[in-house]
Amino acid sequence: MSAWLIANIAPLMFITLVITLLIGFPVAFSLAAVGIFWAIVGIELNLLQPTLLQALPDRVWGVMSNDTLLCVPFFTFMGLILERSGMAEDLLDTIGQLFGPLRGGLAYAVIFVGALLAATTGVVAASVISMGLISLPIMLRYGYDRRLASGVIAASGTLAQIIPPSLVLIIMADQLGKSVGDMYAGAFIPGIVLAGLYGLYVAGVTIFKPQWAPALPLEARSLREPNGTSGITSVGVLVALAAAVSVAYAKFYLKDSPLDETIVISTCVGTAFAFVAAVVNKTMKLGLLSRIAERATFVMIPPLALIFLVLGTIFLGVATPTEGGAMGATGALIMALARRRITWKLLRQAMDTTAKLSTFVVFILIGARVFSLTFYGVNGHVWVEHLLTSLPGGQLGFLIVVNILIFVLAFFLDFFELSFIIIPLIGPVADKLGIDLIWFGVLLGVNMQTSFMHPPFGFALFYLRSVAPAKQYLDKLTNKLTDPVTTGQIYRGAIPFVLIQIVMIGLVITFPQMVMVYKAGDTAVDPSKIQIQLPPSESGTSAPDFSTPPGQPQTQQQQEQQQQKEEKQDSDAAQSLEDAFGTPKDKEPAAPAPAAPPPK
Amino acid sequence: MNALLSLSRAIDGMSERIGRLVYWLVLAVVLISAANASVRKAFNYSSNAFLEIQWYLFSVIFLLGAGYVLLHNAHVRIDIIAGRLSARAQNWIDVFGIIFFLFPMALVIMKLSWPLFMDSFTRNEVSTNAGGLIIWPARLLVPIGFLLLIVQGVSELIKRIAFLKGLIPNPLDKAHGKTAEEELAEEIALQRARDEQGSRT
Repeated sequence: MSAWLIANIAPLMFITLVITLLIGFPVAFSLAAVGIFWAIVGIELNLLQPTLLQALPDRVWGVMSNDTLLCVPFFTFMGLILERSGMAEDLLDTIGQLFGPLRGGLAYAVIFVGALLAATTGVVAASVISMGLISLPIMLRYGYDRRLASGVIAASGTLAQIIPPSLVLIIMADQLGKSVGDMYAGAFIPGIVLAGLYGLYVAGVTIFKPQWAPALPLEARSLREPNGTSGITSVGVLVALAAAVSVAYAKFYLKDSPLDETIVISTCVGTAFAFVAAVVNKTMKLGLLSRIAERATFVMIPPLALIFLVLGTIFLGVATPTEGGAMGATGALIMALARRRITWKLLRQAMDTTAKLSTFVVFILIGARVFSLTFYGVNGHVWVEHLLTSLPGGQLGFLIVVNILIFVLAFFLDFFELSFIIIPLIGPVADKLGIDLIWFGVLLGVNMQTSFMHPPFGFALFYLRSVAPAKQYLDKLTNKLTDPVTTGQIYRGAIPFVLIQIVMIGLVITFPQMVMVYKAGDTAVDPSKIQIQLPPSESGTSAPDFSTPPGQPQTQQQQEQQQQKEEKQDSDAAQSLEDAFGTPKDKEPAAPAPAAPPPK
Repeated sequence: MNALLSLSRAIDGMSERIGRLVYWLVLAVVLISAANASVRKAFNYSSNAFLEIQWYLFSVIFLLGAGYVLLHNAHVRIDIIAGRLSARAQNWIDVFGIIFFLFPMALVIMKLSWPLFMDSFTRNEVSTNAGGLIIWPARLLVPIGFLLLIVQGVSELIKRIAFLKGLIPNPLDKAHGKTAEEELAEEIALQRARDEQGSRT
């Protein structure tokens, strides 16, 4: 019995975990309890050192002193303040008017605003709710297909998951032991491409099913010129001029900059130009710009300013992601104050939600660390690695299997659970197969985004359901009785976008260059040539537990992993600090080796 | 049981007060971090104490807030199965989970983290970073945080059992007021209505 137990302890542990999680008790506590239970079993079986559990407080300490996690409350708080600042409403109204006259225009506006909101807030619920309340009624009023309308809103809302600064990417970076800045830079282009794919789908619909996405009728275009013309020419001229300015700036001043940096800075320069033009036009009453051109310019400034403040400074290396988050949160506060949209009640609510979300996130992480302490102790990582490396097809086979696995799990688990439980297990295997971890992280990020769209549990669908009309209602403007949006329509509307997501996963696998641009910034320094001494660990008390017992030769695997660890020492001192505090990948391999060889 | 229920109410009151105090630190840590970043850029001056205070405060938020989050039932669950069960079954799951998962894990971590604090306290341990802060208050947060979690767990256990005995309404669907999402939706709808009225008059 005990021999069988010893031989199968890792799979047993994993099965116990799955069962316990499914019971429905909070994930954080179940994870930790399973870890501790099996640690005691392992110690009783002489498989683990009795001192193993002494390392527990150290795990908690490692989570506490982890700077990266500070991004979580910062970006959450920023998103919560922003969602109340009225920015989303302004954007949706104006951009809807701008694109509305096009066939499918309202859908494009939703995608465009969804991407802009994603690049500032990173909160799916806020985007979906705003768009569901503001754009959906307009789309329904003018005869959009209900499935298309709800699908495009839910999907655009989930862009917040993949376009930086998103929480998924922070946690992914933390779990894979990479820098958040690199993860952001890597996810930037895939995020934009994904939004482009959504746009392509809408374009396809307008060609094959034009009645699904009609243009706004004349009477609904409220931002027209006094003389009745649309004023679009003026927008075109301004956009063309701004684009020319930004391209010229990029050509002359940013020749050697990496792509993400170029995009961010040149966009800012172009916007600043448009803004100055609009201000000059307004104050001097030149009348050179149409109403819509002026409005669109002003409404684009706050989100673009925030994007620059947060992503721009991170990409330029001026600020760390943590600092960028804090600056963004402060910027959002200032903006909300300036617009007089913030009250004490609102502020308290934002702080309350932020505190709750950060707490449960950190507790899942603590639980996962406790679990992994035992799981690595019983060589569970070797078991997982064996399972995954024995797959046919090498790298590609591994990527395909892992993506299918995550895609299926995403029906049941949300991204916190996926990234804290699954990523630490498969990350080291990916690393061993020579897969770039940033690429891997972005790939899984795109995949996990589907967890928000999967019927019937997807959160985006759930939020949309809560704000979409569930009963027949009288449209206030047209006085027409309008049909509700059924839950079935919301579910069916999501399916094409889930398929697009799968296409995108394929694209990221096929064209890793989209992600690899993150490396462009650091070509000047070769990380492998830099030697940095790890700072001595502060947590000296647990040191004995992490070293191999004296007199016992290191296993080959441990040596390999130690070598890897040395190779991985980054140029970034902060990164090495993080390593020292133990992202699971780097610390776990040094966990105690089995005290006795398992009896056969 | 009545005495236990008043104990539970007292614990809930304490956790609620602690939570409401602790969440102000979110604003504090945001402002400190932003100020620190600006000063670092503008005057090229940075202090390790300011960097450390940020994660100190964040640790206070999640460790002292753990009980508060438990009180509000905001720790994430996987409810694909539990969500379909009866209220009684859900409460039984919590009784089981609190006794066999929550208590053991919190007790073990609390007990094991205490010596670390004592050691740090007697040595008057200071951060190894230049100009860093003293460490022992942060070390003390761990046992205190898990103690608060256990205490709140006791209160939750009392409430679950009281429900199963038919003494109180289901604590799991206790209306915690509106969710943030519901309030956001209401506010946008209100704003819309105001705008529409404005445009009509």
